[in-house]
Amino acid sequence: MIGYLVSVICMVLTAIVLQQFMAAIEGLYDARILIVPLVFLCGSVTVSMGSMLVLAFVCGFLWDAQHLPGVMTDLGNTVYTRPAEMLRFGYSIILYASMGFLMQGIRPLFREGKWHVSALLTGVAIFLYLFAEFMLITFVRGEFILTRGIMLKISFCALLTMLFSPLVFWVLFKFAALFNHTIRYDGLKTRRRA
Amino acid sequence: MKPLNLLILLGFLAGMVWVIALSEESVRSIQASYYRIIAPFVKGGSQLELKANAFLKEVEYSKDLEERLHRTELEFGRLGAIEGQLRELERENNELNAALDFKRRTEFTVTAARVIRRQPSTWWKTIEIDRGAMSGIARQVPVLASGGLAGKVDRVTPGRDESSVILLTDESCQVSVQVEGTPEVGIVSGQRGQIGEAPLLRLRYLSKDAPIRPGMKVVTTGRGGLFHPKILVGMIESFEPGAFDGEALVKPSVDFQNLSIVFVTSAPDNTSHEKSKEDE
Repeated sequence: MIGYLVSVICMVLTAIVLQQFMAAIEGLYDARILIVPLVFLCGSVTVSMGSMLVLAFVCGFLWDAQHLPGVMTDLGNTVYTRPAEMLRFGYSIILYASMGFLMQGIRPLFREGKWHVSALLTGVAIFLYLFAEFMLITFVRGEFILTRGIMLKISFCALLTMLFSPLVFWVLFKFAALFNHTIRYDGLKTRRRA
Repeated sequence: MKPLNLLILLGFLAGMVWVIALSEESVRSIQASYYRIIAPFVKGGSQLELKANAFLKEVEYSKDLEERLHRTELEFGRLGAIEGQLRELERENNELNAALDFKRRTEFTVTAARVIRRQPSTWWKTIEIDRGAMSGIARQVPVLASGGLAGKVDRVTPGRDESSVILLTDESCQVSVQVEGTPEVGIVSGQRGQIGEAPLLRLRYLSKDAPIRPGMKVVTTGRGGLFHPKILVGMIESFEPGAFDGEALVKPSVDFQNLSIVFVTSAPDNTSHEKSKEDE
């Protein structure tokens, strides 16, 4: 179990490196493939809740370290009195954990071997993740703005990312076999039939 | 719930509280350490991105050249292809000349930098440039491009020659500006939710009956000590008076879609900062 969890964390670190090579596609409303959330979501359905939380913490922490810009709080003058609010460092950990719990919800199906349901749910989870992130920004800055462009950007991001989920699951199965970690338990299916 | 899971959940919550309570300095320090580790990969990624873009441009150009050659083959034969090549060289030359001329025109010290990465994050409008701490670049200094103000430096990794620039089109990049030819001053910033279109900036806190017309120039005031005064930001696109104040939409003078070279300026001196305080 520990070996498998370490391998998934290594996969997350590799995903962070690969994410550097993923440019936004201007023709698709600046959508991009979100490899780190994808690896987390696929990984979270293959592990227990405790391990999922560890993964969520690692992914969210590194994600914010990479992406979160600074805020204008240290200017000390009277001109920029109302700076745009920025999300707190660490907000992604909460979002990752929430999406992780969503994935854990269909873990019984995954353990029956229906990985394709999980693959589809990764797309839904990415959509919800980005939507929730945008709503958080809206909440801290005020003024509700939701344009067609934003919805299309979120949708394309989710769709593009979802397309790669079978590949990630395939790698996870390989790691599971390597570390003797049981992520597919057909006994559940038999029990339900009985 | 299993006792182990409960323990992990408690540990997770404690970790969450610790992370959320981190000060800005600590966050900056964590980010600097992170970028020091990830820097070689970022550079590799940006180089790959540049190569891919260059390849795409080359393909595009080749297609264009092929069409031109086909059209002019009957008339000029071999001269058609040569003409096409010369035209491309001329365009490149003009671009470089414009960049050099811009550098000469500016009144403060500037460091030319190449954009190595665009929009590395989903919601924040930032770019990464190939100049940083090693070139003497500091946080919050203005960044210009051919045309006017482009943004400001957001993150500088100590010991590395790379930095991140938050663009003027981002909602969090606020600039004190004046509408030229009027006493009207306000704060300009990007607008949330502008994706895949020519971005317009939002100029707030104007008088409700401000004599503002489309086409008027918007320049920085230099107040607040962040930006040098009299840098062109854009042109007024429209003005809408409100109940208490007025708002205008500004078309930026910088082409953010094709940003390839930027100029990082020195920080405005404290005297102008003090003067701006006195003005208020």
